[in-house]
Amino acid sequence: MSAPLIPNLFAVCKVLVAAIIGIVQSIIYALSGPIPPLRGLGDWLGLDAVITVVTYLIVVTIVVLWVTVLNLFTVMWVERKLYSRLQDRYGIMISIWSLPFWPFNRVHRPTHKGLGYLQNLADGVKLIQKENITPRNADSAMFHISPVLIASSTLMVFAVLPWSSGFYVANLDLGILFILAAFSLAPLGILIAGYAANNKYTLVGGFRAAAMLLSYSIPMVLAVIALVVFTGTLDPVKIVQQQDRPLVAFGTTLPLPAWYVFGPQFLGFLIFSVAMIAEMERVPFDIPEAEAELVEGWTTEYSGMRFGIVFAFKWLRMLAACALISILYLGGWSGPVFTTLSVGGIPVPIVPEEIWFLLRIYFLAAFFVVLSWSVPRVRIDQILNIGWKRLIPYSLLAILVAAGFRVLG
Amino acid sequence: MAVDWELIAFFILSAFEIIGSVLVVINKRLVRAAFWLAMTLVTIGVIYLLFLSEFVFLIQILVYAGAVPVLMVFGIMLTRRKIMDEPGQEAPE
Amino acid sequence: MPEFWINMGPQHPMTHGLWNMKVKVDGETITDAKPEIGYLHRGYEKIMEVREFQKNVVLTDRLCYVSSITWSHAYCLAVEKMMGIETPERGQWIRVISLELQRIASHLMWLASYGPDLGLLTGLLWCLRERELFLDLIQLMSGARMNQNYPRVGGVRNDLPENFEAMCKRSIEHFLEKLENEYPKIFHESKVFRMRTEGVGTLSAVDAINWGVTGPNLRACGVNVDLRRLDPYETYEEIDFEPQIWQDGGVGDSYARFVVRFNELRESCNIIRQALEKMPKTGPYRVKPPRRAEGEGYAKTEDSRGEALFYVIGDGDDRPYRVKIRSPVFCTMAATPILLRGNKLADVVSILGSVDVCVGEMDK
Repeated sequence: MSAPLIPNLFAVCKVLVAAIIGIVQSIIYALSGPIPPLRGLGDWLGLDAVITVVTYLIVVTIVVLWVTVLNLFTVMWVERKLYSRLQDRYGIMISIWSLPFWPFNRVHRPTHKGLGYLQNLADGVKLIQKENITPRNADSAMFHISPVLIASSTLMVFAVLPWSSGFYVANLDLGILFILAAFSLAPLGILIAGYAANNKYTLVGGFRAAAMLLSYSIPMVLAVIALVVFTGTLDPVKIVQQQDRPLVAFGTTLPLPAWYVFGPQFLGFLIFSVAMIAEMERVPFDIPEAEAELVEGWTTEYSGMRFGIVFAFKWLRMLAACALISILYLGGWSGPVFTTLSVGGIPVPIVPEEIWFLLRIYFLAAFFVVLSWSVPRVRIDQILNIGWKRLIPYSLLAILVAAGFRVLG
Repeated sequence: MAVDWELIAFFILSAFEIIGSVLVVINKRLVRAAFWLAMTLVTIGVIYLLFLSEFVFLIQILVYAGAVPVLMVFGIMLTRRKIMDEPGQEAPE
Repeated sequence: MPEFWINMGPQHPMTHGLWNMKVKVDGETITDAKPEIGYLHRGYEKIMEVREFQKNVVLTDRLCYVSSITWSHAYCLAVEKMMGIETPERGQWIRVISLELQRIASHLMWLASYGPDLGLLTGLLWCLRERELFLDLIQLMSGARMNQNYPRVGGVRNDLPENFEAMCKRSIEHFLEKLENEYPKIFHESKVFRMRTEGVGTLSAVDAINWGVTGPNLRACGVNVDLRRLDPYETYEEIDFEPQIWQDGGVGDSYARFVVRFNELRESCNIIRQALEKMPKTGPYRVKPPRRAEGEGYAKTEDSRGEALFYVIGDGDDRPYRVKIRSPVFCTMAATPILLRGNKLADVVSILGSVDVCVGEMDK
């Protein structure tokens, strides 16, 4: 059995917010001696509804920062460093030691020895400084809406994606379906971007992207349906709970965890992973921005931070996809707790669920990175052939197999 | 006075939906009309959410917001002769 | 979607150099194509008329910036024929070695750019890593890493450096090991790579000959034409090697062109090894050419990209009266509409990458 580091993010935040509001309230009450109308403000702040709303805002901020600042930078760093090593070179090296002022830029720490973690930050700063160019004949409103649509639909995924059994914004009964719905909004944004820029490369790129994402979200949903036949729920926390036990097959307990990947769901796992590579727009299926023939695909006309957003959010989608694969098939955050320390009365499990989950996510991310940097990209008609002629029949077969096992017990 | 927030939300959403669907009809540029249609369908989905039917809401987003407008835009772009504003489509010499 | 023209170039990731491929697409299928060249035209044939014979060698280095020595060599050969002089034997052997080193470097550059064309950036860095070995060797010989100015009218610029033979052998051994064990993993043995290259950009042998396609592109159609065998120059007669031909039948597609070039890498290593064994260890490597000359000289050589031809006329002055260059890529370019028609838009890179375009020599 596993234990989370944060048993309930919302409850923790609510306690903290209530404490802070209590302090603010007492200050306001103290001030309300000379200024009587402040008493009403103090009373209003103490309302449960106000505390709940503020807590929600805080929780959302925490998760967004956790995702975009910590995990996005880490996954970008992992990718860039890993593929550089694959190509026999050092890769990115800008680190804190590259800053050009005193305590960092030391003689014995030359900049080419950094780990490169801050390279992506430097790239982001560079992109922010760049001019945002809107093409003259572009459909300006739609051109500007589309990065927002893509970014917001990607962030929507993280609204319900749990990072452990307690670390989430909201836990819906239909969490998995919500994530898939949020994923499926991206083709619309991509098509808008491709159309609005009024450029032939973006138009063809947008078409390809929409055709590919549309045809790969069908096997993705079908694979999830095959899984739901087994789980009986779409709640990610419950799905992980079901996998947090040893595998029992043919009446014997095997030394394996009961992850859904072991067993009749293996086919579904393969289909879902392939579909997810397409949803991430990674190299075997990165036709949308096939940079060799269509300069940058649908992102060609974007410049400055608008390009940065559409580019960086691909990694967020990769993060979400890896999290989704590990929740559905690889046991999510389940893992052994070796010891539980007690720090000031609060139990701190050593190797908490969050660490197990991040391990799985980054292992999957590294796998996808190595995969995508060692194969060429597939042509668009071949991609659609794989999607419609292979993956969809196989995913129907996966549903059949899952239903058969369910009926037979 | 008790404010019926649900009723207000319903009216706002309905207004969005009506405006969206009117724009679908009167818009001269078909691609834009398809995107207004997407907005209309999303608002309908949110109205479902207002009626506490989350599953229908999510399916509405998954199918009607994610797939149907994209297919319609495909249809428009694959059949109409001119989709881009610029004139120069003739062969270069 | 209506049919429309897409400009692939002059500023486009697909073009290795400055040229423009106009492609007419119907959806994703290519219905027509028009290459548009001349962006890099420098008027070589005219410039060469106002420079002395020996000084023109510096210009011919710049004809193709990834295959300098082969072009300078073709020019020197033509001028030598016009002047009626012959390179000493050791000079000829050194030329053969430098030509083959340059051919490997050029083919590796092609392979390096073919990788990212197909989305395989790892191929780029691996090939450039190995190209470095051969650039180092050429640098030892000629002193330059780019625009290597090594052949001279009458021989080569300088003798081989000390210990060159051992270094050359060591580099080749290292390279052959990579060629056997590492490269096939990302190229031929990769199913995705074969999906992208097999059956696209087919060119029949008849079409290839009619349009003047030469070199590896012609051998990929199954035609056994290699000037090093058919019309040997320098000391190629004494070397035992096989011209690489696509033998599995069918019309030449991108994969055939890839395989032919890939095998030529191995064959060039073989030639260098034999040349190092057979060459005389000492002796003159250069004769002094006359300053003025009259007559006609004509040389064709097997360049990395096909048959390079120089035709030089002298009228008794110390500079050529007329120079004519036949560029293999220029002729291949005329056949690109045939290669492209009927394929998908995404195949443009797979096809044009495989014919190995060098704009410097194409636009002259």
